[in-house]
Amino acid sequence: MILIAIVIGCILGAVIGIYTPMVPYTYSGYLAIAIIAALDSVFGGISATLKKQFDLKIFVSGFFGNAILSILLTYLGQKLNVDIYLAAIVVFVGRMFNNLAIIRRYYIEKWTNNKKNKEQQNLNKND
Amino acid sequence: MKKKQIAITLGIMCFILTIAISIQLKTVKNSNSTVSVSLTDDKLRDEVLRWKEKYDYAYEQLTESEKELTSVRQDATQNDITDNSKQEQINQNNMLLGNVKVEGPGLQITLADNNVAATTSIDPSSVLVHYDDILQVVNALNNAGAEAISINETRVITTTSITCEGNVIKVNGEKISSPFVIKAIGSQGRLYGSLTMAGGYLDILQSYGVIVETKQVDNITIEKYNGIINYKYVKNN
Repeated sequence: MILIAIVIGCILGAVIGIYTPMVPYTYSGYLAIAIIAALDSVFGGISATLKKQFDLKIFVSGFFGNAILSILLTYLGQKLNVDIYLAAIVVFVGRMFNNLAIIRRYYIEKWTNNKKNKEQQNLNKND
Repeated sequence: MKKKQIAITLGIMCFILTIAISIQLKTVKNSNSTVSVSLTDDKLRDEVLRWKEKYDYAYEQLTESEKELTSVRQDATQNDITDNSKQEQINQNNMLLGNVKVEGPGLQITLADNNVAATTSIDPSSVLVHYDDILQVVNALNNAGAEAISINETRVITTTSITCEGNVIKVNGEKISSPFVIKAIGSQGRLYGSLTMAGGYLDILQSYGVIVETKQVDNITIEKYNGIINYKYVKNN
């Protein structure tokens, strides 16, 4: 159910995205930073699911809140002539890597455990 | 009920995310601005290298076929005395045209930009070597009876042009840069005398602050002309 919803959402988004007019180049920087923030939230959500701490409210608010906040910060940076979006990128991408590491570890541990269990079962059978 | 809710929210979020990503991709693709300058730089460098390789390969082939031509010519003229003299004539003409590597006694002149900082009242332009300086030197060498001249290993022949293109000097269409080593084969005494005499062009250059060095060398090698001499409009009368 959840997977189907995600796939349908992705396909619909891609189709509609192709036919929408493109944003002016000045705003594409904001959009890019919002995308990075959203992606960070998605990876955070996945790793939270694996840890069984997933909360929909936190996830949704993080998804939109981070994106909007990063856009606002970028705008502020432009007004102040400071490249704040660099800091946002560093933070978000750093967290993305952290979350990816958590996901990777979870699956590797699962795999090794499975292997061990199988060996144990084989040993038990042989006995 | 709860699962349905989660699925719908996740679907909507993915929908928004993919829309944003595809819009962004389209925008970046359609705007000609480059995301990273170093990436384009690398591409250009790659292209230069590729062209250079091609050039080297073509040049190798050219040398090979030239060698073949000479050997064929030799074979053809081996038996006959009149043909032999013709062969000599061809060699002579090639030497005059600049199509063969030559060596002999001569003069080597090195002109280099001076690195004097332009802090004082010196005009920074006056301590640089300009294309007309090279032109003047070549002219003086020719006047003194030089039989073969090269600038930074580029042979000066009858069709050679020495031009200024922005901030580079081109000889035979090839870019050259400081230090400029001008080699000339001819009577050492005459070349040296006429180039370094008081009030001569090298003297003037030196007084401006350009680094000038002249050396009489007993055995100078001057490379052959790299290009191809093409005559389209001139006809034998």
